[in-house]
Amino acid sequence: MIVAFANLSWPVFADALALGGIYALMAVGIGLVFGVLRLVNFAYGQLMMAGAFALAYGDQWGLPNWLSILFCFGVVLALSVLMDHLVFRPLRTHSPAVMLVATFAVAFVLQNIALIAFGSFGKTAGSLAVLQAPWDIHGVFIRKIAIIAIATAAGCLVLLQLLLTRTPVGLHMRAASMDFRTARMLGVRANRVIGGAVILSGLLAATAAVMLSVEQPQITSTFALPETIYVLMGVVLGGLNRPIPATLGGFSIGFAFGLLGGILPSNQSQYLPSFIFAAVIVVLLVRPNGLFTRGGAVVERV
Amino acid sequence: MTQARRLPELLAPAVLVLATALLGLVVSSYLQAYFLDTLIKVAIVIALYVFIGNSGVLSFGTISFVAVGAWTAGVLTVPEGQKKVTMPGLSHFLLTHNVGNVASLAFAAGAGAIFALAVGLALMRLSGLAAGIATFAVLGITYNVLTYEQSIGPGLNAFSSVPQTTGIWQAAIAALICVVVAYAYQRTRFGRMLRATREDHAAAAAAGISTYRQRLLAFALSGALAGFAGGVYVHLLPLQVGNLYLDLTFITLAMLVVGGAGSLLGAVVGTLALNGIYSFFSAATNTVDVLGWHLTVPSGTAEIVLGALMAVVLILRPAGITGGREFSLPRRRRPVADLEKARATT
Amino acid sequence: MTTPTLAVENLSVRYGAVEAVRGLSLEVKPGQIVGLIGPNGAGKSSTLHAIMGSAPISGGDVRLGDRSLVGRRPEDVARGGVALVPEGRRIFGELTVEENLRLGLAARSKQSNGGGLARAYDLFPMLREFRARHAGALSGGQQQQLAIGRALASDPAVLLLDEPSLGLAPKIVDVVFEALTQIRDAGLAVLLVEQRAQRTVALADESHVLANGELRLTLGPKDAGDTERLVAAYLA
Repeated sequence: MIVAFANLSWPVFADALALGGIYALMAVGIGLVFGVLRLVNFAYGQLMMAGAFALAYGDQWGLPNWLSILFCFGVVLALSVLMDHLVFRPLRTHSPAVMLVATFAVAFVLQNIALIAFGSFGKTAGSLAVLQAPWDIHGVFIRKIAIIAIATAAGCLVLLQLLLTRTPVGLHMRAASMDFRTARMLGVRANRVIGGAVILSGLLAATAAVMLSVEQPQITSTFALPETIYVLMGVVLGGLNRPIPATLGGFSIGFAFGLLGGILPSNQSQYLPSFIFAAVIVVLLVRPNGLFTRGGAVVERV
Repeated sequence: MTQARRLPELLAPAVLVLATALLGLVVSSYLQAYFLDTLIKVAIVIALYVFIGNSGVLSFGTISFVAVGAWTAGVLTVPEGQKKVTMPGLSHFLLTHNVGNVASLAFAAGAGAIFALAVGLALMRLSGLAAGIATFAVLGITYNVLTYEQSIGPGLNAFSSVPQTTGIWQAAIAALICVVVAYAYQRTRFGRMLRATREDHAAAAAAGISTYRQRLLAFALSGALAGFAGGVYVHLLPLQVGNLYLDLTFITLAMLVVGGAGSLLGAVVGTLALNGIYSFFSAATNTVDVLGWHLTVPSGTAEIVLGALMAVVLILRPAGITGGREFSLPRRRRPVADLEKARATT
Repeated sequence: MTTPTLAVENLSVRYGAVEAVRGLSLEVKPGQIVGLIGPNGAGKSSTLHAIMGSAPISGGDVRLGDRSLVGRRPEDVARGGVALVPEGRRIFGELTVEENLRLGLAARSKQSNGGGLARAYDLFPMLREFRARHAGALSGGQQQQLAIGRALASDPAVLLLDEPSLGLAPKIVDVVFEALTQIRDAGLAVLLVEQRAQRTVALADESHVLANGELRLTLGPKDAGDTERLVAAYLA
């Protein structure tokens, strides 16, 4: 496998960074909602799927790209808020395991609604596919979407970091994810914080959806489903309660997939998911902090 | 409580299974397929229940044991001539060894049990969300490996040429075996100890119960039943690895949740009710006559109905239809006995 | 604008089948420290949580001025001018001292005159020195000062404290109690729940003894030396 690294080239490296960037955005989206609601949203991928279908419709209606993207954002945000009100809030008193199962159910329902509405072939969101074309940078051909994804992801993450550390709302959100009860007694408005996290999470999902749709212009009902699973694993690996490790975890998975997928022959890279899953199990057994601790408290162990 | 009093707990699910089987015998062969499917799902959901219901711990991994069982039984019963054609990458040992129908089911159960034991050794220390995610990872690994590993099975292709030995009787007997085993387990000391840890973890530990060991036992048993069900399943249809992954996990989990995860009756009732609904809506994709009214629904409706039901139950009545209770006959009022019991405890 | 009085009238707090507080009535006027002492499990913490809206009130009323606080969400009670310094301090260890204080600003009402962080820094100069440090690195006594400062940041009318001296060395307790005196003199109404009966009775303008959820006795500072009376009240 070491030899395979000889296959590493700038385009492959850039693609891996881009995939890592998209995964990182998803990781933050999932992590934000978990931090504040203690809810692992298995249906996160379906939010992205809805956004991607919106892009496809924009395409079909001949809308200019910026308008399609706006439509995509609108759909994702609306669906996020709806999901929160109909499913997350009524279930808030239950255990995280029950909530995981519930989001599992929601994911399935949405997946099949899309299957009914759009058939198994789905729709094509092709107008952004032009970004697959490469830029010529000093003789190296790097795909436009790779650069854009890296820049967008980096930009979003920086903005988010500023929001979380420099604004009162961000401070409230961080406090709420550490100790919701005490935060409320200090005057932090529960509904605002939760609503804020849901909306931010939706914005990130929409952004990731737009970028992923360039990689996968054929939008089907399972759009972003495998990615959601991998990001979830990455987030667990990174450690959940802290946004930065969570993001790093998501990024690493994406980067690893992109890199190893790009340099290894397919008969070696096909077991990559198994290694990721196995790593997650090891982490859960040996260093379960993050997802399952609260500022140092011990994980739920037997 | 004497053993006799508990018998309805066993008989109720058993009778339901038998009734399903008998119904399946009298309907047309077109409809029989749904009854067969239901009986196998009963077996799978009982396997799920044996662990999740008794321990209170979420596991997404049971279907991976079904898959392992299906692969084992399938690979050991496909006729040798066919093996070379449909599974060219198969290892030499598997290519040259075959067993009979019943033996293949035994091996399937064994494979499921061993795999579950191995996984459980590591994972049974976990609870709650951690357990859910870890077992999900196991499901992911199994799916990944079975998809690409050609030396142990057909990989991505469907499992064709497996002798179709599962008729109504084989399926019914399989389901009944699962009912009996699950009932027997929960009546043993081990089953009761595990349920104690579900109710009050600290008290159980104080009473000397090893939560880890009891969970491991239930997990391995659950693996055996799941593997067994997988073996029966592969003898019914040419299964494909995609049939034994997320969709099946979701459907069987929904059945357990809606029926009531805390009881054997819940597992059976949930499966029968939900698979009935699921089959109805699946059949309706090809138009169905409901009281003289033609109904056609788009494919995928069945999943939506199931998912919606599951969400509703989780929100409104998390204990499910049966509320986690087994079937018991109403007790005759015996005031004197009650009074004596009251006196004895104060 | 006059600061309002906190009035608890015939309060009952019930957790399921257990009645933690029964028919409790007390009043805290602005510029007053009222102590609430009693054995473990007497219902002192429950009283504070009931006022904050995070414990289930099964009867009676809690009023700030002429507004009832019953049925309000905790964040709304906080915004109404009631600040709690929780048991165990509950500071956010991973945030800096300054960020912890800023959190306290969340409950600031529009009418407040700014005060905020400056007030906390004036009362506890140590906080200014450590403002950029992670709160988790502070000692117990410093964390207690931070918790009080945080509560003051919202410019409240009422300050509730749940066993602030818990786990603190006597010298630090002196510092804390001295700060409470200054807070009282600034015109706030202070309700102090404590285990250290004698010091509380000596400090507070009046102290109520709570046992088994009921008010047993009210003591003044003069009674601080009368240990017999104290013990009798606890055991009654």
